Amino acid sequence: MSSSDAAVHGHGGHDEHASNPHLAHHFDSIATQNHASRLGMWLFLGTEVLLFAGLFLGYAVYRHFYHDTFRFASHTLNLTLGTINTIVLISSSFTVAMAYNMVKKGNNKAAAGLLVFTILCALAFLCIKAFEYQHKFVEGALPGKWFTFEEMKGMPGANMFFTVYFLTTGLHAFHVIVGMAILMWVLKKVIKGQVDPTYYIPVELGGLYWHLVDLVWIFLFPLLYLI
Amino acid sequence: MAEKNKQAADPSAHEHEHGAGRYVLIWAALLVFTLTTVITGRMDLGGANLPLALIIATVKATLVVLFFMHLWDSEGINRLVFCVALLFVLVLIAGVFGDLLTRMPDALPTGRHAHTLEGGDMPTTPALNPHAE
Repeated sequence: MSSSDAAVHGHGGHDEHASNPHLAHHFDSIATQNHASRLGMWLFLGTEVLLFAGLFLGYAVYRHFYHDTFRFASHTLNLTLGTINTIVLISSSFTVAMAYNMVKKGNNKAAAGLLVFTILCALAFLCIKAFEYQHKFVEGALPGKWFTFEEMKGMPGANMFFTVYFLTTGLHAFHVIVGMAILMWVLKKVIKGQVDPTYYIPVELGGLYWHLVDLVWIFLFPLLYLI
Repeated sequence: MAEKNKQAADPSAHEHEHGAGRYVLIWAALLVFTLTTVITGRMDLGGANLPLALIIATVKATLVVLFFMHLWDSEGINRLVFCVALLFVLVLIAGVFGDLLTRMPDALPTGRHAHTLEGGDMPTTPALNPHAE
């Protein structure tokens, strides 16, 4: 498609391709392109929801069979650390939303600061999680044949709780790591001035991914730590 | 519809923009809900613990999706995509639990807790006593 073609379909003969370097040649206008980008991201997030839904369902099935064991096991987790991690993730979700807001207002400097804070939150989350994992390793509160947790010896389904615990929090932690990489890529764009009030899709979609990580934890936290 | 989409997606249209105030408000609400769920989670509410924790989590998730992820004023197609994903989660849950809850007792794993048994006459391991034989 040539740019003259786009001009024919464009608004009032104005050629957006000439004036906007971010506009790909196969899109009519930046509005259409943004629309398509967002739709693509939401389709991906839909598959992410289904991925975690499978694990949550596994939790539900084993909790249905071994409800007393699961209740007991959830009380062996460290609620204080879990609560701190919840607050850390919710706050990082807030700062990434604020960074998006700042880029839209043309304040890339503030946005960069907020993104750095968000990445530090992600790092703090992982450190706390690693500390919790280390504690579980020492106790032997592990999945399957590695389960040697004295406190829950002989309880039916005890190792299934820790199988579900490590699978769900492990996959979530992997998403935190990927999210950090994405946010660093967004941060680079913000610092270099490659995003501004006329083009902020990378900040918006990177933010969406980070919110999904927060979303998964919002359900993991009560199911694993509280009930 | 098409007109609305165009506006929401157009970076030069400022009608749908919101200040930082909305984000601060949502953040505060999320923190309050987190505190609530921690406090109520460790109280003994009998059968109400699980539903209450799930309701609070769902409210928090809804706030994040609608306002942090902007589904509230996003293009309609994105709302459709997300709702369809949730619909399929419900299909998954309905299918699996439809199976589990209608099984014959001997088609279920042994050693599970008594409430899954209809007659309750099958021996199960005592739950909260780790030192039982």
